[in-house]
Amino acid sequence: MEKIKKIILNIFADAVFEEKDKLTVTVNPKELHELIRTLHANEELPFDYLVYLIGMDWGEKLGVVYLLSSSKDPSKEIIVKTGTSDRENPLLYSITDLYETAHLNEREIYAMYGIRFINNPDMRRFLLNDDWVGFPMRKDYDANPEINPVSVVSKDIIDTASRIMETPDGLKEEIVNVFEADDYIINIGPQHPSTHGVMHFRTALDGEIVKKIDIHSGYIHRGIEKLSESLTYPQILHFTDRLDYLSANINRHALCMCVEKAVGIEIPERAQYIRTIMDELNRISSHLLAWSAQTNDLGATTAFIYGMREREIILDIFDKTCGGRLIINQNVIGGVMFDIYADFQKDVKAFIPYMREKLREYDRFFSHNVIALGRMVNIGKLSKEDTVSYAVTGPAGRASGWSCDVRKYQPYALYDKVEFKEVIRAEGDSYARYMNRLDEIEESLKIIEQLIDNIPDGDFLAKTKAIIKLPEGEYFQGVEAGKGLFGVYIESRGEKTPYRLKFRSPSMALVSVMPLICKNEKISDFIGIGGSMDYVIPDIDR
Amino acid sequence: MFQNYSQPLEFTNLTSWLDAALRENLPEFWAVFIELVLVGVVLLAAYAVLAMILIYVERKITAFFQARIGPNRVGKYGIFQTVADVLKILIKEIIHVNKVDKFLFYAAPFFMIVASVLTFGAIPFGKSLHAVDFNIGVFYVTAVSSLGIIGVLLAGWSSNNKYSMIGAMRSGAQFVSYELSAGFALMTMVVLSGTMQFSEMIESQAYCWNIFNGHISSLVAFVIYLISGHAETNRGPFDLPEAESELTAGYHTEYSGLQFGFFYLAEYLNMFIIASIAATVFLGGWMPLQISGWDGFNQLMWYIPSYIWFFGKVGFLIFLSLWVRWSFPRLRIDQLLNLEWKYLLPINLVNILVMVILVLTGLTLTDLF
Amino acid sequence: MRTFKQYITGLFGGIKSLLSGLSVTWKELWIKKVTQQYPENRDTLVISDRFRAELVMSHDENNEHACTACGICEMNCPNGTIQVISKMTETEDGKKKKELDRYVYDLGMCTFCNLCVITCPSSAIKFTNHFENATFTRNKLVQQLNHEGSKLRAKKKEPISAQPVPKEKE
Repeated sequence: MEKIKKIILNIFADAVFEEKDKLTVTVNPKELHELIRTLHANEELPFDYLVYLIGMDWGEKLGVVYLLSSSKDPSKEIIVKTGTSDRENPLLYSITDLYETAHLNEREIYAMYGIRFINNPDMRRFLLNDDWVGFPMRKDYDANPEINPVSVVSKDIIDTASRIMETPDGLKEEIVNVFEADDYIINIGPQHPSTHGVMHFRTALDGEIVKKIDIHSGYIHRGIEKLSESLTYPQILHFTDRLDYLSANINRHALCMCVEKAVGIEIPERAQYIRTIMDELNRISSHLLAWSAQTNDLGATTAFIYGMREREIILDIFDKTCGGRLIINQNVIGGVMFDIYADFQKDVKAFIPYMREKLREYDRFFSHNVIALGRMVNIGKLSKEDTVSYAVTGPAGRASGWSCDVRKYQPYALYDKVEFKEVIRAEGDSYARYMNRLDEIEESLKIIEQLIDNIPDGDFLAKTKAIIKLPEGEYFQGVEAGKGLFGVYIESRGEKTPYRLKFRSPSMALVSVMPLICKNEKISDFIGIGGSMDYVIPDIDR
Repeated sequence: MFQNYSQPLEFTNLTSWLDAALRENLPEFWAVFIELVLVGVVLLAAYAVLAMILIYVERKITAFFQARIGPNRVGKYGIFQTVADVLKILIKEIIHVNKVDKFLFYAAPFFMIVASVLTFGAIPFGKSLHAVDFNIGVFYVTAVSSLGIIGVLLAGWSSNNKYSMIGAMRSGAQFVSYELSAGFALMTMVVLSGTMQFSEMIESQAYCWNIFNGHISSLVAFVIYLISGHAETNRGPFDLPEAESELTAGYHTEYSGLQFGFFYLAEYLNMFIIASIAATVFLGGWMPLQISGWDGFNQLMWYIPSYIWFFGKVGFLIFLSLWVRWSFPRLRIDQLLNLEWKYLLPINLVNILVMVILVLTGLTLTDLF
Repeated sequence: MRTFKQYITGLFGGIKSLLSGLSVTWKELWIKKVTQQYPENRDTLVISDRFRAELVMSHDENNEHACTACGICEMNCPNGTIQVISKMTETEDGKKKKELDRYVYDLGMCTFCNLCVITCPSSAIKFTNHFENATFTRNKLVQQLNHEGSKLRAKKKEPISAQPVPKEKE
């Protein structure tokens, strides 16, 4: 990392470095694009993977925090910060040309903070309506319901996008049409059986073939990040279960670890075991549901029900362990809320061979079915470069040949003590994603097998202070959730509540890549590809 | 030749007695008129009752395939579930969305239902339970049943809904393609039995069902007919016109109440019609299983009435169709057309040739033994 | 020739895969069904002890509870589900004492995060697994958890509430 520092200093002598656990650079907005471009093009270790970008309101300044990493070695990270003190018309430079994942994120930041990005090709607000008054995540936002009353009038969707482009004669504001004039547009969603939630794809069709997709979201946005800013850390915990509800336990693990790392709480060994086993069970249940939903999207209703049947057993184990089925509510800061119940090991051990048998059955039933193969093989191809550029992680990222398993490159909990294979396929099509999930279920079973008999005795919950205050600073913790990298970013000012809390949601990246991989596919494959990406909408509509 | 066997449960006596009684007491015209009305009423009633039974059976069997138990709340084992559903559908309000083409919108379901009722009338349900026995029965059935597609296209076109439109267009492509295969498969059997009349076809299968008679060729034709018939009824894995994962409900998205009920009934009855044509043409229709020379065995078989044989065979074929439907994912439109134009049609053309050769060279089972 | 071979192998390979799919559903047709017949199976239905369905305040046979009306649960609740309404009473020796008047719990707001139970210093409340909470109107979901006429259980020693969970730390 010293080398990187030198490279940066060579070009930008006035860059400000902070010595934290991650290399942090602060630059002024004019230099930002150039700096990131240099890092992106760095030959030895190209920083081509944008983990997150976070809008910030530091009070005197509005700005953005970027966490860059490398697809070659995702454990190398560098934080870049920039900001502007213009609160009326804040403008920053977009990095969409370097990282496609920045596109939707920049639009979200515009909706939440009002920062507009120069050169972003489509600067509509994401998650919020264009006529929303105020920018909700700003600290001086007026939440008075009279300003933004609940509207019961149907609004037409306007398919025009404004943007600011940099031209030789200065900045130019322009308005572009999203679709062509005679496009046959259908609304897939927000109420649609196969969008896996309240997602809205405006889709231009050419006969059966998808020409263009325009993503609308935010129909179930709950403002969790804003709410969190007024809640204590233990209180925020229960929100995490409600983001990607299929990886509820894993999400919660991330926030717990983030806080524990910041405060310096040592977790009892037993709690680590319980957390890891529960995480893997959660992953299996998430992948089972993904499998079921994908088969259902392809029209095989029976397979859907088989998957749900197997998942039920895991949910029962959750139910007995911590009293929740979907919203598991098990991890707390310092350990777990409930110890395992007496028959936990017996139940889990009975489940493992059962699940293996069922995996074989799934193989016979669906994985080699000639119709299913025709609908998955070579459909929805995603190249490795695009995967990195769109920051698609999880089984979908690994299906395109990118080794991006957090459990491998930044092991947390007990993942450095267990043996498991990171399932990687190179094809990048729907079928690779499909098979990856089934194989990952098998790997999770292996992890559980290695741990289940060795759960040590002892406490399951470390003693913590009643009021948890994080020391001033920024903290980030990523975990491998069912759909990819789930991250929690906390900026603390030493209070018992976070100054800024951001969840890096894997589903957002999965959805953002849909327009790319669905282009020129049939409309029925669009649904099938959606199933293979396995996104969960509440994860996007935080 | 069958009259030698005792047939205690047949309706033959009842129908001929009724006919005789009417003709004795009334002028010719009125006798025929009353008979026509009676047949019409019986057919329509059977149509509705069959549809209800089919819906119940499908829901139950589907549930069993899916590790569930299916309807079980209305009546013992839920047998009145469809009755309740039908009542519900009858009292639902019929609505239409803005700017539909009202005339076509309301006419479409009738095309569907009329097409399937017309076909239904020509099916031989049992010995002497056969309303119309055309000498071109097979031809009539193929011709009339393809009227239904007009209903689907009209429904999709007039609904003022883009999803419906896509569904209808898919349906058109699908129907036109598979009509071809179904027709050819039936033609193969016409070559074998040398007649298009259902009654004669059944008689000719007394001792050897067509599916055995033409051995390889018949078997291929049978499978092709099942596949393309299944596709014609728009049921999974060929349910693209209503593919609920992408088109929500396809061409009947905007229909409600009885209008929707018509589509629903027609769908189930079409399944029945396809199965009964397959049973008649390939499996000997209502003809009991008989073996030439085994009089005792044949008599035993004849104790089971012909309509039971018919419904048994049809039931078996319907079960096959359900089994397939609940096992496979849906095809994509290009896969669907591939299957037809690249596989079924060429095989079919070769098959019809093989059948002609079989018949001409006397290699069918009845010729050989 | 090669394409013809592919055509044939593709055809038979496809048929084989379809048949193996059919064999799976055939087997499933005969195995035990998993549907649970609720509410008929109410007697045999097992709901996990830890299942959180509603908050209750435990009362003993003397109609006494352990709630000291300290309000920690109310403070910890992330979304204002709990309202502790206390009243001041005078004890016999003339001291003023805070006592629980009404403990109001809105089931409709609750996210079942269990924070109130964990943080309660006197273990006065707990979650039970009585899950049949459906009502016809929302206001029925707002419940008073302390029974009519109940009072604080007298502690032999100092009540536990003196120990942990101070409200503010330095």
